[in-house]
Amino acid sequence: MLEVRNVDAGYGSTVILQDVSLRVEEGEVVTIVGANGAGKTTTLRTVSGLVTPKTGGVFFEGEEISKLQPHDVVDRGITLIPEGRQLFPDMSVRENLLMGAHRRDARGVRSETLEEVLGLFPRLGERLDQHASSLSGGEQQMVAIARGMMARPRLLMFDEPSLGLAPIIVEQVFDVISKVAASGMTVLIVEQNVWHTLKAADRGYVLENGEMVLDDAADALIENDHVRQAYLGI
Amino acid sequence: MQTFLQIIANGLMLGGLFAIIAVGLTLIFGIVKVVNFAHGEFLMVGMYLTYLLTTGIGVHPYATAAAVVPILFVFGAVTQRLLIQPLMHARDEHIQIFATVGLSTALMNLALLIFGADIANTPNHGLRSQIHLGPVRILEGQLWIFLAAILLVTGLQLFLARTNTGRAIRATAQNRAAARLMGINDRFIYVLTFGIGAACVGFGSALIAPLYPTSPTIGTYFVLIAFVIVVLGGLGSIPGAFFGALIIGLVDALSGFYIGSDLREAVVFGIFLVILILKPSGLFGTRVSQSHVSP
Amino acid sequence: MTDTTLKSAVTPARIGRHRLGLIALGLVLAALFVTPVVIGDEFVYHIFITICIFAALSTAWNIVGGYAGQLSLGHAIFYGIGAYAGVILVNMGISPWIGMFAGAAVAVVAAVVVSYPCFRLHGPFFALATIAFLEVFRVLALHFRELTGGATGLMIPLKIGWEWMVFRERLPALIIAFGMLLVCLGVAWAIRSRRLGFHLIATRERESAARAAGVGTVKVRLFAVAVSAALSAMVGTFHAMYLTFIEPSSMFSLQLSIQIAMFALIGGIGTVWGPLLGAVLLVPITEFARGALGAEAIGLHGFVYGVVLMLVVLFMPNGIMGVLARFASGRKEAAGDEPDTHIAAVARTDVAPQIGDPVLRVEGLQKHFGGLHVTNDVSFTLREGEILGLIGPNGAGKTTVFNMLSGFLKPDQGSVTLLGPDGEWHEPGNPGDFAALGLGRTFQIVQPFAAMTVEENIMVGAFHRYHAVSDAREAARETAHRMGLGRYLQDEANSLTVGGLKRLEVARVMAMKPRVLLLDEVMAGINRTDVKRAVDLMLSIRETGVSIIAIEHVMQAVMALSDRVVVLSSGEIIAQGDPQEVVRDPHVIEAYLGKEFADA
Repeated sequence: MLEVRNVDAGYGSTVILQDVSLRVEEGEVVTIVGANGAGKTTTLRTVSGLVTPKTGGVFFEGEEISKLQPHDVVDRGITLIPEGRQLFPDMSVRENLLMGAHRRDARGVRSETLEEVLGLFPRLGERLDQHASSLSGGEQQMVAIARGMMARPRLLMFDEPSLGLAPIIVEQVFDVISKVAASGMTVLIVEQNVWHTLKAADRGYVLENGEMVLDDAADALIENDHVRQAYLGI
Repeated sequence: MQTFLQIIANGLMLGGLFAIIAVGLTLIFGIVKVVNFAHGEFLMVGMYLTYLLTTGIGVHPYATAAAVVPILFVFGAVTQRLLIQPLMHARDEHIQIFATVGLSTALMNLALLIFGADIANTPNHGLRSQIHLGPVRILEGQLWIFLAAILLVTGLQLFLARTNTGRAIRATAQNRAAARLMGINDRFIYVLTFGIGAACVGFGSALIAPLYPTSPTIGTYFVLIAFVIVVLGGLGSIPGAFFGALIIGLVDALSGFYIGSDLREAVVFGIFLVILILKPSGLFGTRVSQSHVSP
Repeated sequence: MTDTTLKSAVTPARIGRHRLGLIALGLVLAALFVTPVVIGDEFVYHIFITICIFAALSTAWNIVGGYAGQLSLGHAIFYGIGAYAGVILVNMGISPWIGMFAGAAVAVVAAVVVSYPCFRLHGPFFALATIAFLEVFRVLALHFRELTGGATGLMIPLKIGWEWMVFRERLPALIIAFGMLLVCLGVAWAIRSRRLGFHLIATRERESAARAAGVGTVKVRLFAVAVSAALSAMVGTFHAMYLTFIEPSSMFSLQLSIQIAMFALIGGIGTVWGPLLGAVLLVPITEFARGALGAEAIGLHGFVYGVVLMLVVLFMPNGIMGVLARFASGRKEAAGDEPDTHIAAVARTDVAPQIGDPVLRVEGLQKHFGGLHVTNDVSFTLREGEILGLIGPNGAGKTTVFNMLSGFLKPDQGSVTLLGPDGEWHEPGNPGDFAALGLGRTFQIVQPFAAMTVEENIMVGAFHRYHAVSDAREAARETAHRMGLGRYLQDEANSLTVGGLKRLEVARVMAMKPRVLLLDEVMAGINRTDVKRAVDLMLSIRETGVSIIAIEHVMQAVMALSDRVVVLSSGEIIAQGDPQEVVRDPHVIEAYLGKEFADA
């Protein structure tokens, strides 16, 4: 479904990704793990069109999307739930969710989608008219995920969904991600919390200093010493 | 008492006029995050258009809005697309200021070149006749401006709050990166917003032209006042601009009477400086721009 | 030695270009004076006098608007003050040569009073505030009729001669205008090429980095504003004498303020000679349109100005000087690049490091942001010659701790005390005080001074120790070679790779010769060879007796480097001690990899 082929990418003259390739098949949950600064976020930003690769290409369902503007990528059906939640602070929860359904294919059916999404996030139903900025960190993350789902994407990408959340909330976030995955959604997820993600994923890639050094089934990666080494230097 | 009420009435009417100019400016300022120093010249262009249309084909000045508003919309949209858009990522924000200052200078002088320094009087079709509202007297045109300002502010506010496009505009202003991830074409939003901002002032110019003589430099005076109002009301806040305009209108009228008509501007700009320095988020600003500690 | 090859490779080409530039400049200046004298026409004299006046004003503006990056659109305030001071005093029988300084003094006071509260405003808000001040001055000048003559304006009495700055012929006026231009250019050049210029540009580019390098950012900007205002006022006095009549709307004029800034932008904002070039090219358009086309063409010159300004910002934002510089550097490349000099290898001894007594004590730091408790009771001690690794997962609050250790943030509770060179313990309160006591820091997001070369970047750090440019340059070069940046000395800072920028960040701090060094993720985002090099570099720095605290995510490096590590998670210290032991601590594994990993 998604293929990243030999991509070099970065900001300005700075190269962050070197010859990065990865594949995500329909219905799969794939994760990219790696230490801070390894280039995980840049990989997701490249897929969503926020960063244009210097060489190589990004293909979605066989078509090249690496030259598209971010809004065109969203229209194709790829939605990124960004790091740090990035809500619209002065809008209500309801408006935030409606913004998620801005995509052409999602706008017409947004009331139905809203119903479905609120089924997954019952807590948000009680908060619909509150300002997004008045929510707790965990609730904001839920809004961010729900907003991403409102686009009815074909591929949903998560960037560090557990960042800065208390352990108990992290559990809840991963419960939700598992539910989303179980619903048949194709998911690409980038996470610090290696254990949780590998548990939730089918396959994983290990990114080190902008290069893909390892890819394997998620269970196998949990056992792999290389992962520990990358994070803890032991 | 009679005089006092009259001054208050004058101030409110002036405030309505200021509001109609400031609303477009605050929209551009708040959403596109660009200080449009040429906003006053947009007004000037609109007023000349009204003047030409009324004198040329003899229509009522208000009827010219049908042409002036779309023309100004295109004018604003083109300004954003050709002048501001290429500079959105300029490392130095001075560049954008210079760009709109350049546009302002060019437009003002172009008007001088075409129309000369003399003032142009738009036929007022009885809009300068006085009407009595209880104890006070105001011009009919002023009343229309005041009502139009309320209409414009309410309309814009509803547009921003209730429509998909309006929400997309607000979303882009609040978090541009996230808006792009929602599939919003931020460039289009900016072009649209700049167009709407300019169209607002176009609407205003059709109303203002019958009351104020048009001249190439008319924009300079109004734009400075409009900046005061925008900062006072909080950047990007439409209701803030409206109430800010009423306050400045009242301050102008009261200080003109009690302090001296030649010092009105000093009072207005003095207030502006105090607000800017002590409370940069404005009197009605909800969105406090966090001057965060750099990393 | 690499030093000598470098100097011989770089300097001749540079000096050659430099000399060429100076010759061209000399010619422009000479032409400014000679042309009208040769032609002898009244109108030509007038044009050239006006060019000199505007070039001088624009050069003075550039000290604030260019070097300091404070976009003033109210500079006519100072020009107007100078003009009024001169004319009022002349009417009282005092020579404008004295009035000029009186005006300058008043302008300096006004500049400081106006600017100080405005420095917290950025970009358009600063510009708007200066416009507002200008309007206030104009209105006040109109109001106080007894002093200023109000809207009717003021005439100067017809007293002719050098002491009154009023002449029948044009030549003496040209001499004065030209002299004033030379003074303004001289002052602007002197500021730019000295420590103050470096401080101003560093402040403009990255205020935090400048403060961390010990620059008194408010002080240097106030100084720049004062100098600029004084020069503008002096030019104003002369111009008033030349015009013989002044009134508020032409003296305290927004149009004039915009023009002054416009010339600088078109010529090249922030460059010494740009404003001169801008004025030379544009003033004749005005004067020609006014003189030759008369009332027919009213507005023509303004229209041309506006259009030129828009074209310049769109297509050559660095102005004429920018285009010239590109031309010059293009030729340099054609002439062949400098030979590749090798990065100086860092000599390492394997002597076990001597860890001494405490130099920095951190006690009970607490910090809240809103409802968030970002630092909770953090205490540790740094000893002399020690490398302390500060690690923890993303969002643990490491950078916040650094900000409190360097004076950028005040802790809600707790204290940071630093052993000074005098052997006493101090509790500094701001970045400048920390820097003065010998603490240097880098920033996680690199903060190069983009408009400067690598060498100039490092010099900003070196100026912490030296006053003279030559000493600072020497020290900067030495530091650069030690950091493996020797071959990039003359490159724009922005042209470096991430690894290079990180090294530049360290080099700038090292040039301050700090005793305590705070390094914030200097290894993030750099490749493996650069990491190795960075590790060697840090060890060699420590060998010179510097104590280091390093925030780092590259764990291999942390393990190799640190004598001790402190692990921060959710704002609290969860472990500290020997690195090998700490990473095996279940709490630490949990913080990094999740609870189950710790149990596995």
